[in-house]
This record gives sequence, structure tokens and C-alpha cells, in this order.
Amino acid sequence: MTDFLGYERPDGSIGIRNFVPIIATAPYANDTVERAAGIVDDAIPITHPLGRCQTKPDVFQTYRTLLGYGTHPNTYGAVVVAHAGEIVDGDELAEDIAETGRPSASINIHDENGVMNGLKATVEATQEMVQDASAQRRQPHDVSNLTFGINCATSDTTSGLCQHKATAGAAWRLIDEGGRAVFAETPEFFGGEQGLADRAVNDEVAQKILDYVDRWEQRLQETGYDVRGAQPTPDNMDGGLTTIEEKALGALVKSGDGPIQDLVDYGEKIPDDSGMYIMDTPGHGAESVTGIGAGGAHFMIISTGQGHTLSNAIMPTIKITGNPGSAERVPEETDVDVSEALVGDQTIEWATDQLWNEIIDVVNGKQTLSEVLGESQFAIHRIGPST
Amino acid sequence: MGDTHIVAVEPDDNVATAIREITSGETVTVDVGDYEVTVEVAEDVQFGHKIALEEIPEGETVYKYGLSIGTASEDVEAGEWVHVHNVESNYGRGDLADESATA
Repeated sequence: MTDFLGYERPDGSIGIRNFVPIIATAPYANDTVERAAGIVDDAIPITHPLGRCQTKPDVFQTYRTLLGYGTHPNTYGAVVVAHAGEIVDGDELAEDIAETGRPSASINIHDENGVMNGLKATVEATQEMVQDASAQRRQPHDVSNLTFGINCATSDTTSGLCQHKATAGAAWRLIDEGGRAVFAETPEFFGGEQGLADRAVNDEVAQKILDYVDRWEQRLQETGYDVRGAQPTPDNMDGGLTTIEEKALGALVKSGDGPIQDLVDYGEKIPDDSGMYIMDTPGHGAESVTGIGAGGAHFMIISTGQGHTLSNAIMPTIKITGNPGSAERVPEETDVDVSEALVGDQTIEWATDQLWNEIIDVVNGKQTLSEVLGESQFAIHRIGPST
Repeated sequence: MGDTHIVAVEPDDNVATAIREITSGETVTVDVGDYEVTVEVAEDVQFGHKIALEEIPEGETVYKYGLSIGTASEDVEAGEWVHVHNVESNYGRGDLADESATA
């Protein structure tokens, strides 16, 4: 069994980082959150345009996603910043975070008599938490504690032939050691959904996969437009991907061919049992990765054809490409270059080893290129209209 | 042995992916399962793009990974570049939703 050095949480989960996010509950808290994070080194700003004037399914999804960041294994504690009375309630969110035993604080800009005092209160709460977090030490733990997030980005035809195979190889290596993996992007199952359903552990999960794909197909049909141009995206098409089916069949390679344990909703907690899971998300990378983060994945593999800035603040994001041109063109978007395996100069097993070794380094504390550069996007998938 | 830089994934595939630049007029040999297919390439094909390994008449299925990646929207000759100009998706076609509802 493989060990790594991680941070123990009061709820029993093990983190590979010791982050303190400052979470806005509504857009009117975003500036305070960004400013506080600019003052307190090591704090992670979580800002978004949602949290108010939403109908119930969207309120639930927004709340669940924000709670997922506040209670993520890589989170030491969290500071919640609200503006006034909103549907996503700051006090409630801070209380739910505290229920996992993590420190949490709730700041309301109105209750603090405006942004100046609100900012002061946010900075004070955050600096205390960051200092406490810095005193915690890593301890050895088994890799079976880890959850592996998988997403693709700016895919091209090399993705399905090379880097996705290495990604699948590393994910199943973790599952074989008792860990979990999750992939997502349901509209990118089009054309491969039957093969995916055939991999389900039982009929119920198989039906769930087909139903989720049907729902996305229906949502797209209802727009009255051809999906082309939106999927595949212009960058996918430059890379040779012709239809959403071709993109999907390549995309599914990154999940390997082992059994699918279950399918979870957007931002829902990924189950503790070992195995491969699916999260229902759009193909929109920032939204998909944000959902996977809320589900509790410890780190993210972005398997890319042409390179992508896509990264997440709370899950260290490792980028792998098998496209030799991309590795050269966008070096800071390439943590692991396995292009030697694209035309058979190296094997896929070699590529898998390259990725696995990088993962072990990163879970032990090595910063990924996107962490070093401070790259991250946060975008909660919205279901319906604002009101 | 065929060109290792032109990849057919499954024996049923009627297209192959170029992982090098291919020039118009080149004659290339591609491994497709247990046999080889030789075609004359009709136009320049960029890295990552596809060529037809056989004739694909309009309305016929284009196969990659052994599965459908869409339908030929015009007659495609062996050796032609295969992309958005001659293949259409069969998914997410809201533009055809009314047609299929009445069909």
C-alpha cells in the first residue's frame, strides 16, 4: 500500500492541503471576499454571481456547492461572508461547516455597518484561522483516503488516443488501492452512453446513466438549435474533433473500462466506498470542475489536448497532455508531458507511471503549475433562470 | 506495417486520425485491425484531423472507436479529409427536433 502525508480533519477525512476559503454567499459580498484574500496570505477567495433571486433547485445547488468547499477535505476551516439577508443564508452555512468540527466564522456586511467594518471583521477572522492552520503538521495516511477527480479540457483527437488512457490508468491504480475516482460532463457521453451503462454495477445505476444522458439531450433539443459550435467547441474542432459523439467517445477513454459504482448529482458528496463514480455536470469545464470540487475530490487531473488554464482553487490541478505541440506551446499548462506515448515511442504504462508519480508528489505537498501561478476558476452550474 | 502516425482505433472504423501533417497526393498505408488499407490522400490534412479509409456515401455512418461519430452529409471519397464540412452529429439536434417529432 502507498502512503502519503496529509492533514487530519475532525470529521475523519484527510486533506492534501490546509486551505482557508473565504466564501461569498451572494455577489454583493464578492468584493469584500477578494479584498480580504488579497490581505491575508494563503486564504482562498470563493466568489460567484449566484445566491439570490434563484428558484429552489438552484438555491439548493448553490448552497450544496458552497458547503462542499467549506467542508472539503483540503479545507482547515472557512469564513463565510454575506451581504444582508439572502436566500443562501451565511449563518446557516457557517453553522453547517462547523458541524464537521472545522472552525468557521460568519460575517454579515450589513450587521457590521458596511464594507469597511465588514472587511476588517473578515480579515481578522481569516488571519486567525490561517495562522492556526499553519501550526498543523502532516501525518502519514494510506492513499485509500483519496478521491481522484477527472476532467478533460480543450480536447483534441490526441486526448482519446493517449493522455486519457494514462489518466484512466492512474485512476484505476488508486481504486485498486482502495481509493475513489470521479469523472463527469454528462453531455460528453453522447454516443457512448450504452457502453457506459453496460459498465454499471447494477441495472439501477445503468438506467440512471441513460436517464441523465436523455435529460441533457432533451435540454439541448428544447433550445431549438444545433449543438454544433457549442459542442464540440471551436478549439476542439481546430484539434480535429468533428462531432459531439467523437468528442464523447474520446472523453470516455479517461474513465477506463472498469465498473461504474454510482452516479451522483452536481456538487453532491462522492461516496466513501472505493470505485469509479460519475457526477452529473455539463461539459463546461469550469462548472464541471467546480461541482467535482464540491463533491470532495482531493486533486484534479485535467487531461488536455491543446492545453488549458482550467484549474481549481481547492483541488490541486495536475495537467497532462499527450500532444507534443501543446507541451511545447503552453508549457505552464503541462505538468506531465506524455507525448512520447502518442506514437508508440513509449508505452501507455510508462505514461501512467509518469502521471502516478506526479500525483504522489502533489498529494504530499508539491505545488502544481496552476497553484504556483494562482490560476483557478469557480463557476457553479445553474439550472434555471434568475428571478 | 502501416504508418504509425495514422491511427484507426477499431477494425470497424472507416476513418483514421493523422498524428502528423499529411500532404495532398501522398499515398498512405494504415493498419486497421489485422489488415492494411492504402489510400491516396486527396488534400492536406492537419495534425489531429481525420481521413476516410474508404468511400462513405452521403447519409452513411462515420465510424471511429468502432461506434458512430455521425453521418456523412455529402459523399466522401477514400483519402478525403473528414471533418465538420462533410459530417453531421446525430445528437443535440434541436434544429431537427420538429422534423423528428413529425416523422
